[in-house]
Amino acid sequence: MPRIPIGSWADSLVEWLRDHAEWLFHFVTTVLGGFYDGILAVLSGPEPLLLTGIFAVIAWWLRGLPAAVLTFIGFALIDSIEQWHQTMQSLSLVLVACIITVAVAVPLGVWAARNRAVSGAVRPVLDLMQTMPAMVYLIPGILFFGLGAVPGIVSTIVFSMPPAVRMTELGIRQVDGELVEAADAFGTHPRRTLFRVQLPLALPTIMAGINQVIMLALSMVVIAGMVGGAGLGGTVYLSLSSVDVKLGAEGGLAVVILAVYLDRMTSALNQRVSPLGRRALAKAQAALGGLKFLQWKPATSLATVAVVVLALVAGGMSVLGKDKGSGAAGTDGNGRPISLGYVNWDEGKATTFLWKEILEQRGYKPRAEALDAGPLFTGQARGDIDVQTNAWLPTTHAEYWKKYKDKLEDLGAWYDKTSLEIAVPSYMKGIKTLDDLKGKGGTFGGKIVGIEPGAGEMKLLKDKVLKDYGLGGEYKVMESSTSSMLTELDRSIHDKKPIAVTLWSPHWAYDKYKLTKLKDPKGSFGSGDSLHMLGRKGFSKDEPQVANWMKNFHLDEKQLTSLESEVKNAGTGHEQDGVRAWLKQHPGLVNKLAPSAKADYAKGKDAGKTPTLGYPAWDEGIATTYLWKNILEKRGYRPKLQNLDVGPMWTGLSTGQIDVETDAWLPVAQKQYWDKYKKDLVDVGAWYDKTSLEIAVPSYVKGVKTLDDLRKHKDTFGGKIIGIEPGTGEMKRLKSVVSPAYGLDGFDVTEAGTSAMLTELERAYAKKEPIAVVLWSPHWAYSKYHLTKLKDPQGTWGANNQIKTIGNKSFPKKFPEFNGWLKNWKMSAAELGSLEKEIQAAGKGNENKGVEKWIDAHPGIVDKMAPVK
Amino acid sequence: MSRLQAEHLYKVFGRRPEDAVRRLEAGAGREELRAEGTTAAVIDASIEVDEGQIFVVMGLSGSGKSTLLRTLNGLLEPTSGTVRFDGQDLTSLSDKELRKVRSEKISMVFQHFALFPHRSVLENAAYGLEVQGVPRAERTARATEALELTGLKGWEKSWPDELSGGMQQRVGLARALATNADLLLMDESFSALDPLIRRDMQDQLLELQKSLKKTIVFITHDLNEAMRLGDRIAVMRDGRIVQIGSAEDILVTPANDYVASFTQDVDRTRVLTAGAIMTEVGTVLGATAPDGTKLTTAAEFRAAAPAVVGAGTPLVELFTPCAAGSVPVAVTDEQGSLVGAVTAERLLSVLGEAAEQSPAPAGPVPAEADGTAAAEQTPAKATSVEKTAAHTSGDTDTDHDPEDKVSAGA
Repeated sequence: MPRIPIGSWADSLVEWLRDHAEWLFHFVTTVLGGFYDGILAVLSGPEPLLLTGIFAVIAWWLRGLPAAVLTFIGFALIDSIEQWHQTMQSLSLVLVACIITVAVAVPLGVWAARNRAVSGAVRPVLDLMQTMPAMVYLIPGILFFGLGAVPGIVSTIVFSMPPAVRMTELGIRQVDGELVEAADAFGTHPRRTLFRVQLPLALPTIMAGINQVIMLALSMVVIAGMVGGAGLGGTVYLSLSSVDVKLGAEGGLAVVILAVYLDRMTSALNQRVSPLGRRALAKAQAALGGLKFLQWKPATSLATVAVVVLALVAGGMSVLGKDKGSGAAGTDGNGRPISLGYVNWDEGKATTFLWKEILEQRGYKPRAEALDAGPLFTGQARGDIDVQTNAWLPTTHAEYWKKYKDKLEDLGAWYDKTSLEIAVPSYMKGIKTLDDLKGKGGTFGGKIVGIEPGAGEMKLLKDKVLKDYGLGGEYKVMESSTSSMLTELDRSIHDKKPIAVTLWSPHWAYDKYKLTKLKDPKGSFGSGDSLHMLGRKGFSKDEPQVANWMKNFHLDEKQLTSLESEVKNAGTGHEQDGVRAWLKQHPGLVNKLAPSAKADYAKGKDAGKTPTLGYPAWDEGIATTYLWKNILEKRGYRPKLQNLDVGPMWTGLSTGQIDVETDAWLPVAQKQYWDKYKKDLVDVGAWYDKTSLEIAVPSYVKGVKTLDDLRKHKDTFGGKIIGIEPGTGEMKRLKSVVSPAYGLDGFDVTEAGTSAMLTELERAYAKKEPIAVVLWSPHWAYSKYHLTKLKDPQGTWGANNQIKTIGNKSFPKKFPEFNGWLKNWKMSAAELGSLEKEIQAAGKGNENKGVEKWIDAHPGIVDKMAPVK
Repeated sequence: MSRLQAEHLYKVFGRRPEDAVRRLEAGAGREELRAEGTTAAVIDASIEVDEGQIFVVMGLSGSGKSTLLRTLNGLLEPTSGTVRFDGQDLTSLSDKELRKVRSEKISMVFQHFALFPHRSVLENAAYGLEVQGVPRAERTARATEALELTGLKGWEKSWPDELSGGMQQRVGLARALATNADLLLMDESFSALDPLIRRDMQDQLLELQKSLKKTIVFITHDLNEAMRLGDRIAVMRDGRIVQIGSAEDILVTPANDYVASFTQDVDRTRVLTAGAIMTEVGTVLGATAPDGTKLTTAAEFRAAAPAVVGAGTPLVELFTPCAAGSVPVAVTDEQGSLVGAVTAERLLSVLGEAAEQSPAPAGPVPAEADGTAAAEQTPAKATSVEKTAAHTSGDTDTDHDPEDKVSAGA
């Protein structure tokens, strides 16, 4: 037969689709991705045990008490083996795929049942969809939809649609023809016949079809895991690629629990949904005797109430509880996301998590994903992945580099002590070099166990090494996969059998087993690969600083192996803890690897803590609170801010809802609050005492320096003093004490508000008009304008307040370091005034920018306010 | 007054049905068409049904009777021909109009009951009303009424699978009656029931018909049932109607051997009536009463007769009186006047006949009457006898006399 290039046609088709149907794929990705994200957000919001409770209630509703108990145990177990989040991801994927599948399949099945032509046309298409190996969809799937949940969802839909369509068609056809005829004979419109007669009676069969859909969807989870869909598939895939039996068992168990739950629930759903099922249920319930409570299922309404209650609790908890402080202000990253991809090789995993930690410390939001080499390179070429840390070039990953190098950037090599070799167990005597293999073909069964056929090492082995050593006749290289090769190695070593495998250094196998690297005197394997950081095209432009860090990244062998060791010890799911342990042994390394002007701030002792700072909407309160927020973040804290009115603020301090506030005016102005709550509070200390109340005039008004002068120059000011809110202590004092003392009763004191007064001041000042305003210090107005505080020789304004920091009584114990800083903190009037000015200038919402500017203008202020050793 | 008329109905399945109709009209045979893959299920069928009449279509499987029924309400569209009900041509209606007619004017009862298993008995009975759009309260009331009519009071909340076959068919009947449709199509409705229940249902139908007076077309393959229920009966064979007539017509004067063989096993004693076989009074005058007196007048005869029965009495009730003595049984008409007599010999000889019938001896007519004898008397011949029930003389084509003796009267 002549060679018909079907493969090429398929390839061309895929290419053509990518060029012309991009908009369609983008649309699908957006819709499906959004749907998935939405469902996942709902499922991952609540605490696991609460959601388990909801699942259990549903099980109780559908199948009775024993099922509910088992459900609770099953899902609690999933949480215990740390597969909860993955299970929610897989469940979301299954739900999205199922909803879409059913929405398409049922109408299609109905149509096929009523129309022979459609039925005939659809059948071969369904056959194709059902039998084509799902892996085949994956390649174009990644190309069309990128990495993530979407290609998994699409593959699942394609794979599970046929049974749903067939079952629907079957169900409708199986409805007794006489019934349809009867409906017809009584004048029923065909559409009503469909909905009133055929669908209700076909429902049990259709539900069976839906049950099938769910089961098939679950069987696809592993495939989804291979293309970045994460979830339980990711776990299983991870365990596969690292030959991790523990993880595989746990991941598999979670899949089983989820599968059994969904299967039982959907098959029981028939009882609640189809009319015949409901009848059967009613009959069964009525016939219960003895152990009734075991079989009793609550009414739908009751179950709904239970679910709603649990859901509200869950929702409420997430609103109140899960407030993560920002921690990103004033950092290099500013919360920008970066995605790191890695193949599950030790050095790749270790360096990926190392960089994840570093980037997090620098304020980025990095994500790490485990993928197969193929999807990783493809994903990076598409732009879904920003960086991979472990590309072996020029040999091992040569094929990928060749294919995608236009879409990638080489960020340089960070390690070069690698080698490719053939290894044998050390118990094989007398085999030390590749030459020693000659003539021993029989011992090894004539084969060398290899890895993925596309790997550079395999090509090298076949094309060069075997030839150079004349081993081609005796030995065949077995193509398999890395994990299979490792499993085979493990088995042989366990049984002390001979085996020769393709391997490379560094590799954990050398730690686990006693192996001998066969010497390569002829150097056929080449000089080994270097490990490169690769970025997607455009990465250096988008993140020049990170790219720079990565270009300068180097590790030596000792560093690399110790890092790998720590990561391995920490275990799956806790890699970053291992990295942190390793970084502790290498102090200052982060700063060396990722130097940053902004990041020259040592972390405080209590870094990571989350104090809640309350502040009233007064200038000095806003200013000092944002200042402390900035400084705390630099010291690695994650502070939270709460804007409150004075009353609620003090109450919040007393209950501990607020940890500390910096704007308490004592001993006079806020005396009543202190007196009320002082047994729950602690006075951290005063940081400002140059407060005063006064009347101020612009300095350009000559000859008015005291309150007496004011009286004398009444006409200059049009007989007016611009006041503030009439109920304030200051206005009251002005009226009752100050004014009589200095004979100012002739003045008309306008009662408006603080902002009105300030606006008036602004206006008059611009026109250089004389104006007298009621003011106080500290106030930013003194920085903005040249004002003269009118002297008060008689001291009528009363004792001055200090501005103090007040905390809840537990504050010193909870935040000792912060407490110490606040205790020693003082600010001058100039400092405060300029700070307030900068913040005002920056504008609402940009307070931090103002703070940064102020800090820049006061070098060393951070260390002064928040010293760390 | 006929309410339902079907004229020259054809139903052909397969390729080019209209073509096939033309060929059939031209005289082509059914087998010929069958060889080409075309099935002629109904060929040139015409029927007329009066108000309040039960019209039975009878035939073996494959005779086309069920197909014919379905062309009446359009479940199968006739290839050719028209159906008129209350003057309205059903075959020319649009789908929407046809559905309306089906909903309001025509009801159907099915062989295997066709009850919706996912609805209760009441909901099933109310189905037709639901399609009509009647509000729930009224639906429930009318359906309950219909169920009561068919004897299912108290079973409203039950489910079809809790009911026996007979009860299920009652629900089917109630469903058909609830809509107040005037035309009832019954497709072998009692065929799936056991014999006793079947009898009950037939009785019930006849009972209901007395008060409701629906126009009914009833399909069956059971001859006895046809004879019991049918005011008029059409016999179908291979798609054609071979005879239409009353039960006695079919029985006594079958149109051909096929019909005759059909009727072979019928229990004639329950079909034939006294009026069909009686002889004139005059023929029995001159007999001697048991006590020796000679019977010379009609009145004497009447007094001495062992029984006086109406003309519509089935023969089965005459055995006992006929066997009682030598005096024949007296037969009266609806008004009570003496119209004839049945002797034991006559009874036996009629029953002994096979498909043939022998003419009863025509004798001189005694002058009891006043010249209106000819009009009063039914000719003593077992042809064209008519049941006393309401009946038109619309005898059509296939009625003919194998033996040509007509008593011409005086």
